[in-house]
Amino acid sequence: MNVPSPHGYGLLRLGRLSLLWHRRSLMIGLMLLAALAAAFLFCLTGDGLGASQAIAALLGQGDPFQQLLVRELRLPRLLAGLLSGAALGAAGCLMQTLARNRLATPGMVGLDNGATAFAVASIVAVPTSLAPSALALTGAASAAALTFLLAAGAGARGYRFIVVGLGIGALFGALTNLMLARADIDAANAAYPWTVGSLNARPPLAVWLLAGGLALGLPAARLLTRPLTTMRFSDSVAIGLGVRLGAMRIATLALSVALTGLAVAVAGPVGLVALIAPEAARYLGGQHGVPVLNAALAGALLTLLADWLGRTLLAPIEIPVGIVMAVIGAPYLLWIILRQPSGRQP
Amino acid sequence: MNPNPVAPLETRGLCMAYGKRPIIEGLDLRLPAGQVTAIVGPNGCGKSTLLAGLARLQKPSGGAVLLDGKAIASLPSKEVARRLALLPQDASAPDGLTVAELIRFGRQPHQGLFQQWSAEDQKVVDAALAAADLGELAERPLESMSGGQRQRAWIAMAIAQDTPLLLLDEPTSALDLGHQIEVFELIRHLAEAGKTVVMVVHDLSSACRYADHLVAMKGGQVLAEGAPARVVTAELVEALYGVRCTLLSDPYSGTPLIVGASRVRACFS
Repeated sequence: MNVPSPHGYGLLRLGRLSLLWHRRSLMIGLMLLAALAAAFLFCLTGDGLGASQAIAALLGQGDPFQQLLVRELRLPRLLAGLLSGAALGAAGCLMQTLARNRLATPGMVGLDNGATAFAVASIVAVPTSLAPSALALTGAASAAALTFLLAAGAGARGYRFIVVGLGIGALFGALTNLMLARADIDAANAAYPWTVGSLNARPPLAVWLLAGGLALGLPAARLLTRPLTTMRFSDSVAIGLGVRLGAMRIATLALSVALTGLAVAVAGPVGLVALIAPEAARYLGGQHGVPVLNAALAGALLTLLADWLGRTLLAPIEIPVGIVMAVIGAPYLLWIILRQPSGRQP
Repeated sequence: MNPNPVAPLETRGLCMAYGKRPIIEGLDLRLPAGQVTAIVGPNGCGKSTLLAGLARLQKPSGGAVLLDGKAIASLPSKEVARRLALLPQDASAPDGLTVAELIRFGRQPHQGLFQQWSAEDQKVVDAALAAADLGELAERPLESMSGGQRQRAWIAMAIAQDTPLLLLDEPTSALDLGHQIEVFELIRHLAEAGKTVVMVVHDLSSACRYADHLVAMKGGQVLAEGAPARVVTAELVEALYGVRCTLLSDPYSGTPLIVGASRVRACFS
């Protein structure tokens, strides 16, 4: 039987199964994917290496020096950027929707600062055998737990959550500065990348963990978008439509924190991605629904571009990706917020 | 006493509290099937709290709400949503949503992860659009519509949920007279089609005019219950609202009409 699809949507039917998708969101997703592939390839090339040579080297063919350049030097860095950007984009989209506030991104509610403080502590203050990455992950989780506990009763909703998160973030920020001020110059230097966010020589294990987390987390996030879309209504409407609010909130928050933690364990505090990428995805997709996959793609693309800019702008001096992100991100964010009518919520 | 033996929705010793303060204590109520029940009473009498309990928006502090004889709290949320639709007073939608999109959300309890749109969904949504007379406005954004149209769209979403039970919290508040009547007539129409409707209504005369069954509450207790023409008396009105009045029979509908109301004492006791 032929069922017409609703206006603006595509419909796929297979027996009793049916899938509905928003046409514009899908188109934007495919375009972001294409742009990401192009950016990826572009970042592999350069220094006398054409696209075809880069692909050959990537596949383990051709000149051994080129293989080393592509597979050992460029690829790990690109993967670290791509994966951390994707994770932060998706995590930001989830948390913004959960808190119904565009400012409620993992970085804003203290996760980034928690990760930084723990990572810096492992380098300068507390002699420990644990890698900074592992501690960054712990720090992000601690900050999330603190914020959630202290804001309890507000149900991860609205301003209280954000204000408490800002406070927790400030606390960890102060802690980081205190440790850096007291540390000797070599240790402070070693800790520096963790305070600004960098993709230079990231620990491979953390990148693999992040890849695993994304492989599980992105499909899970995509499954959550259906209840999350309904959670954009007032609570009573969502309950009336059969959404289990409590369970959905906990699942969303946990997923968002896990993705953020794994990402900052790789790249450090580059949390502005989590603010900009979902915004870009919503803007391109026509403010539709909860564009968690498009936000991930936009985040990956954005991080690659920011890292490329950081490497080329003042070459041979390298600007850490977190700083580039802040420089290009802040004006973009202001522009997006100012050009929209007030009162919009994700 | 109750003409209908089957009560799709009832409460057993229901207690509801606001924080530590008890609002409703030990309420037993059976809501008759296939009828429009109006819950009336003065501000703060617990009528909205009762509806929140019935719609499982708020956990009871004691007792239970039974849906088709089973404790509503023990049923899966989605299953409840297939039997009971709710239009809350604070209903708000995300920006940019069109009428048709809003109404399609009503199908959510009937859909699954991989059953996202069926011929049945389309049929029910079209029927809901027609029932609420919104066919022409289907692709209009919700925020561009008038209060009355928007309220009809919300009711259409509840219709699309295709449940035997419909709960409405003050469905006509903030609507002008014309839109009030429009909404009440739509509700009557739904009851005639077999739905059981429970609504909290502020205005006693409208409740008498459009409901089959009246539940009059004060201080968390039910003062009177039954057909409006039978239970609404001058004494009841005085007990509920602290006003003295004369009751006439509406010459058109035959339902009680309140005239000459005057206050006899401070209405908050």
